[in-house]
Amino acid sequence: MSILTINNLKVHYPIRGGLFRRKIDVVRAVDGLSLELQRGETYGLVGESGSGKSTTGRSIIGLEEITEGEITFEGQNLSELRYRDRKEYYKDIQMVFQDPYSSLNPKKRVKDLIAEPIRNFENRSKEEELKRVQELLEIVGLSPEVTYKYPHEFSGGQKQRLGVARALALNPKLIIADEPVSALDVSVQAQVLNFMKKIQKDLNLTFIFISHDLGVVRHMCDRIGIMYNGRFVEEGTAEDVYENPQHIYTKRLVAAIPDIDPENRKEQAAFRRQVKEEYKETEHNYFDENGSVFDLKPVTDTHYVALP
Amino acid sequence: MWKFIIRRIIIMFPQLVLLSVIVFILAQMMPGDALTGMALDPDMDPAQLEAMREDLGLNDPWYIQYFSWLGGVLQGDFGQSVAHALPVSDLIWVRLVNTFWLSLMSLFFVYILALPLGLISGRWNDTIADRIITGYTYIGFAAPLFIFALIMLFVFGFQLGWFPTGGSVEANTGGGLAYFWSKVYHLILPSLSLALIGTVTTVQYLRSEVIETKQKEFILTARAKGVPEQKVYTGHVFRNSLLPIAAVFGYEIAALISGSVFVERIFSYPGMGQLFLESIQIRDFSVVTALVLLFGVAAIIGALLSDIILSIVDPRIRIK
Amino acid sequence: MEGSQQAETLAEKVDMEKSPPGWKILLTEILRDKIALISLILVVSIMAFVYGVSLFLSQDEIVTVDLFAIHEAPSSDFWLGTDYGGRDIFGQLIIGTRNSLTVGIAVTAISGFIGITLGVIAGYFGGTIDNILMRVVDFFFVLPNLLIIIVFIVIVPQYTIFSFVLIMSIFAWMGIARIVRSKALKERELDYIKASRTLGSSHTKIIFKELIPNLSSIIIVTMTLNLAANIGIESGLSFLGFGFPESTPSLGTLISYATNPTTLEQRWWIWVPASILILVLMLCINNVGQALRRATDAKQRRG
Repeated sequence: MSILTINNLKVHYPIRGGLFRRKIDVVRAVDGLSLELQRGETYGLVGESGSGKSTTGRSIIGLEEITEGEITFEGQNLSELRYRDRKEYYKDIQMVFQDPYSSLNPKKRVKDLIAEPIRNFENRSKEEELKRVQELLEIVGLSPEVTYKYPHEFSGGQKQRLGVARALALNPKLIIADEPVSALDVSVQAQVLNFMKKIQKDLNLTFIFISHDLGVVRHMCDRIGIMYNGRFVEEGTAEDVYENPQHIYTKRLVAAIPDIDPENRKEQAAFRRQVKEEYKETEHNYFDENGSVFDLKPVTDTHYVALP
Repeated sequence: MWKFIIRRIIIMFPQLVLLSVIVFILAQMMPGDALTGMALDPDMDPAQLEAMREDLGLNDPWYIQYFSWLGGVLQGDFGQSVAHALPVSDLIWVRLVNTFWLSLMSLFFVYILALPLGLISGRWNDTIADRIITGYTYIGFAAPLFIFALIMLFVFGFQLGWFPTGGSVEANTGGGLAYFWSKVYHLILPSLSLALIGTVTTVQYLRSEVIETKQKEFILTARAKGVPEQKVYTGHVFRNSLLPIAAVFGYEIAALISGSVFVERIFSYPGMGQLFLESIQIRDFSVVTALVLLFGVAAIIGALLSDIILSIVDPRIRIK
Repeated sequence: MEGSQQAETLAEKVDMEKSPPGWKILLTEILRDKIALISLILVVSIMAFVYGVSLFLSQDEIVTVDLFAIHEAPSSDFWLGTDYGGRDIFGQLIIGTRNSLTVGIAVTAISGFIGITLGVIAGYFGGTIDNILMRVVDFFFVLPNLLIIIVFIVIVPQYTIFSFVLIMSIFAWMGIARIVRSKALKERELDYIKASRTLGSSHTKIIFKELIPNLSSIIIVTMTLNLAANIGIESGLSFLGFGFPESTPSLGTLISYATNPTTLEQRWWIWVPASILILVLMLCINNVGQALRRATDAKQRRG
């Protein structure tokens, strides 16, 4: 059974203008996106900035107002729920934020930061709460000695571990990680990623991994959706997307992944030139007259591409 | 830009209406009405009095009274002054002119002082000159205007005797140039007192703006491409530091309004602020109402001007 | 068993690792700033002195007119001479300072409460609520407040110190509302507020536990500066004759005697001490406020 289904999700923002600031147009941040997520898989949402990948993540967790469409989590349509009832469902969905510096309240000690969700949902005594906090710290690889420190006393990677610990506090089923490593030094990125992968395996979590870094996504994800202008251009397993990209946009993205091996340098360059040529010739085939993306069409069982 | 200005003017109208409502309510709460202003025969027949009330519309519901009052105000009719048995508008007119000159002179001093002080302490920050100027702004920010004005009067008016200690013009100066100079002479001390306190905010803004601007990349670029230091300041830093001056202009107007009440009292300067204090002391409420309204309108227009100037100087505001 | 034992020893150890909370850092910053420290000591000692001494002074006795002691110069009987009613200036100075401080603190507290509440609501919720509230603030800002306060003071029936404080507060909340609002607007965009939403905290909880702690330093700074400003406004109103109810000693009233040229020129003991006291109080409170501001800025840089 799928854990999360998104059906034709649209998130539009009004543009106001003119003398009286009336709504004159809308920005279509997400414009008709559908997605199905299996329990225990890691799904990568990829796209350039402004493609609507973060907005999608935020609307799943209820931070964005949905204009149209349904989000169904474990059989329950979330947008139908009233605010009070929502809480119970949102308990099972948690988020790891992009910026570890601003996502932790600088005025709170680690103990209070991580205990926040516990206090909201569970009735624990002080000792139990402390025990749980230190347990979580251990899971994310921090020593319990940091319990009474403030966030500014940690490095970026450590802060992100705190963010993960907080997200894990309620034993969620789905975690949305919104560019969790893009604010970190490259040297610690891999460390944090590996640790997240390990946690996902250990706790059997479902992950939505939002990123603009194709290398990172390939490392992390089972299935991948490529977004452009609020819509999917291609969706499939990691292998489908990386080895057999069908849409020109995906091809260009894949061509742009740097390869560290100098042996392949020539092939890589040739591949890039080839994609560039193809793009020049066939670009119009992939987009309709308004420049927007077509609906997804199946290529294989797992592989979907937006073609006319 | 025009869109911004028009929108800003549209916002101003509800403000004016709200102001008029508040002033009207205040006026209703004050004791006395239009009849009290007419110096009537105290032995008048109550029935006749009632008839006059009816005639004047004093028995009408409040909104009709409000609109007839507003109609009068728009035509410059503020009613009768009880104490002076004069139309309020006549009484105010002379004072309005005096206060206008006082404000103008103060504004002049504010900017004459603020520009060099702010620019010097910003350009050469952390030098002795900057320390002195910053010290002055600290004291000026903390010192209440009325104490400062009293000290000015005490030192320059009484002890040194350089300036007149009261009034707006010497008696018997005749007309022409002598009259004009006498007026200016009387204005200097009060407007300087206002300005020396009032300029402090602008100096502080200007200083921090210059310091911030001169560290920006485009200034470094200008230096790097060999623009002479003097030109860097006149051509780049200064221009970009003018914004705060426009930004605090509205604030200056508001500060001048309350400031003029104190300064006119201390220097016995016959302006609107002084008239306000006199009138409220003798409970001449029709004058008080008119003055509150006029000062309010002045402040609203000041804020409008400030925003418009800001939108002209700073293109970013327009887009917002 | 071993696990729990381990947890205990850990708890002992972590207690020692406690980092200093924010206000402690703020305090150390102030203590390091010499001018601010002197100002703080001065303000505190003036307050202690004034509130202490006024316990032993009787206000009724001081304001009783003594026609045999009009306009006396300072002497051993009257340390700072007497005014036109033969009333002891020194006593009036003490009681007057106490009254000014009390009113200043009360007005700052009440107007601060109004302003912070509205500012937090406008900044946190944003959108239409923010728009409406800020229009109200803008409007209150352009009103000729001094004049309206005076009118209110004159037309209010049964005028007392309490009504004075209320009237002043009604027109003193806009500044802090605006500052708190713009800071709250910035904070609300930060992810920790959004994170709290996803962690199931209610709006009230987020406002009190997440937002307000992060506004605390700006609130403290603004309130300190407001205290100085309110003492200034109070003494200004008393100076104009629209402050404290009659026969309540006040610094502004003492200074207002100087509008009489003879007093201004020849009887310095009436108005100079009161003027210096106000100046010193306002300068010192401002200094403390500015130092607090610098300290909070510095802390932001470090954090």
